[in-house]
Amino acid sequence: MSVLEIVSTGLLAAGCFFYLAGTIGLLRFPDVHSRLHALTKADNVGLFLVCLALTLLGESLRVALLLLLIWLLGLLAATVSCHLIARHSIRRKGGRSG
Amino acid sequence: MGISLVIDVLLALGLVGLALQVVAGPSLFRSIVLFVVFGLVMALAWARLHAPDLAMAEAAIGAGITGALLLMTYRRLVELNPEKRGETYLGSRWLAAPVGVLTGVLVGLIGWAALQLPPGDTTAGTLARDALDETGVSNPVTGVLLVFRGYDTLLEMGVLLLAFLGARAVASGRAHSPGTSEVSEPALVGALLSLVVPLTILVGIYLLRAGGHAPGGAFQAGAVLAAGGVLLSLTGRLVPTDHTPLVQRLVLVLGLLVFSGMGLFMLFAGSAMLSLPGTWAIYLVETALMISIALPLALLFAQAPGLKGRGH
Repeated sequence: MSVLEIVSTGLLAAGCFFYLAGTIGLLRFPDVHSRLHALTKADNVGLFLVCLALTLLGESLRVALLLLLIWLLGLLAATVSCHLIARHSIRRKGGRSG
Repeated sequence: MGISLVIDVLLALGLVGLALQVVAGPSLFRSIVLFVVFGLVMALAWARLHAPDLAMAEAAIGAGITGALLLMTYRRLVELNPEKRGETYLGSRWLAAPVGVLTGVLVGLIGWAALQLPPGDTTAGTLARDALDETGVSNPVTGVLLVFRGYDTLLEMGVLLLAFLGARAVASGRAHSPGTSEVSEPALVGALLSLVVPLTILVGIYLLRAGGHAPGGAFQAGAVLAAGGVLLSLTGRLVPTDHTPLVQRLVLVLGLLVFSGMGLFMLFAGSAMLSLPGTWAIYLVETALMISIALPLALLFAQAPGLKGRGH
């Protein structure tokens, strides 16, 4: 195993850890907001680590840029949907609406 | 070998488990969400089977557009019958066992028949692959869809149009506004749209162009464009009209018109019906198919005979 492979394996494992933690949080946390908090960590950091690992393995600028684009789009979708779900939850409870 | 076998077995078990949850789950909403998850896992399975075209079609149409249509239907069900919210709208449960058994037998028979097929070199797939050079495209899926079985593809367009007309016929005629216009819009929505909608157009055109030599094609491209339309009507940028404007009527039948017109032209020009005279014709037909796929899907989601921009 080359150094590159070891590093990217470590990054993949770290990414999977964030996904696992986020999923456990989604299943176990008591309310919408803390669940969203757990989930977005998986989406943002987990996806970033996995993309970074695959960038190292891909060894081409094209692959790196595509993976960066995938991460940014995932980030955008996660941010907006998280915001919408949280807003909906607050409004349904009759609280302030953002 | 070892690890990929584990992934395949997990995918297969996951698919069966998800399918079971979808049909036997206690709540309709949960079933719809799990159906979308099922479509995404199915797309992964197609990708594992080296069928990227099917994987994209499954993700875009099976999970994406169908999921959006099902969620919209659920919302209408809740609107029509608020006190039944959360209740499963299952018809007769006693039908489930015989239908399940019959489906199992059918799947078993198909599997058995597949095992009896003659080996590789005499099947239609091999013949089509060997004749791929004559089609003018290098993606075998596009070649088969438009050249070798153009008749099927033409009829599929007819089915889509019929499905749209059928949905219009049973609709109440009143256009429903799917957007939540009564509440203020979150600030992030506009930013998301201004990024994502141009991207759906870009991706749609890319998929169409790539369909000639790589995974992609009119169906995936049309579904991606329709997703852009779904986003726009969901956020109230596109609002329903009471009648279908003339241009949208033309767009609805454009794929059928161009494809069958080209096919008939070739027939009278002395060639076989639905044979296409070259790569340019394939792209022309694909483009027409793409927009004739995208519009009815977006209109089905909007539950409207037509769409127009907000403020027009």
